[in-house]
Amino acid sequence: MARRFESARRGVTATLDDDERALLGGLLAEVSELLDDGSVPSTDPLEALVGAGGPTTPPADPAVARLLPQGAKDDPDAAREFRRLTEKGLRARKRETLERARATLERPGALVLDAEEAHAWLVSLTDVRLVLAERLGLRTDEDADAVLAEAATSTPEDPRVWMASVYDFLTWLQESLVAALMERQGRR
Amino acid sequence: MDSAPAEAEERVEALDGEVAKPWVTIVWNDPVNLMSYVTYVFQTYFGHSKEKAEKLMRDVHEAGRAVVSSGTREEMERDTEAMHGYGLWATFAKDN
Repeated sequence: MARRFESARRGVTATLDDDERALLGGLLAEVSELLDDGSVPSTDPLEALVGAGGPTTPPADPAVARLLPQGAKDDPDAAREFRRLTEKGLRARKRETLERARATLERPGALVLDAEEAHAWLVSLTDVRLVLAERLGLRTDEDADAVLAEAATSTPEDPRVWMASVYDFLTWLQESLVAALMERQGRR
Repeated sequence: MDSAPAEAEERVEALDGEVAKPWVTIVWNDPVNLMSYVTYVFQTYFGHSKEKAEKLMRDVHEAGRAVVSSGTREEMERDTEAMHGYGLWATFAKDN
C-alpha cells in the first residue's frame, strides 16, 4: 500500500508497492501515447526555428482535446491560430514530462525525487487524472463527488468503478505531492 | 504647436484604446484540478503570494472563471499556453 508523498531532506519521497508502480507506469505511458501525433521532430533548422505549423482543429479524442484545449473561446480565428502555433510544442513538452516521471519508477526502492522530477510527477498526475475524468464523464464538481461515492460502495469488478478507484488513488497521491511541495516552498 | 495630422491622431487614439483595453488570460473551473494544485500553479507560475494565489483559485472555483493576468496579446497567449501545460483550461481574450 502506497505511502503518501512527503518532503524529506533528500527530496520529495514516496513509497509505492510493485502493483502501484506498474499501474502508474502504465498510465503515464498510455497518456504519453495518446499525445503522440506520429510526427517526428523536424531536422530542418529553419522549420525548427519558426516552429512548423501544427493543426488548427481540436483533436478528435475528447480526452486529448481536454489536454490541448481551445485557447480562445469566442474567437474561432484566434483559437485556430493559437493551436497552429502551440499544439505541437505542448504535445512534445507534455510527453517529455510524462516520460521524466515514468523514468523515476525504474529506480529501485522508494521514490526519491529532485525538484524537477517532483514537478514532472505533479503535472503528469494532472494529465492522467484529466484523461481518466474524461473517460469517466466527469463534467461538474458534483459528478466528481458522485463517482468517488460510487467507487467507495460498488463491486470492484465493474470497470468503471475500477477506473474511478484509480482516479481516487491518483487524487490522493497528487494531493499529498502538492502538500509536500508547498511545505518545501514555505521553508525556502 | 502644430495640430497633428488626422491620420496620426487616429493612430494615437487606436493605441490609447489598446492600452485602456488590454488582453486578459482567463482560467476556467473544472471538476478535476485540485484547489491546492491550482493555488500552487498560480504561486509558481505567476509568482503570487500564497494568499493572492488562494484568492484567485477561489474566484475560479466559485465564479467558474477568473482573470489571472492581463497585458499584450502575445503575453496572454504565452500565459494561456503555460496554463495548458499545467493542465488548467485557460483562454485569452480582449478585455471588455
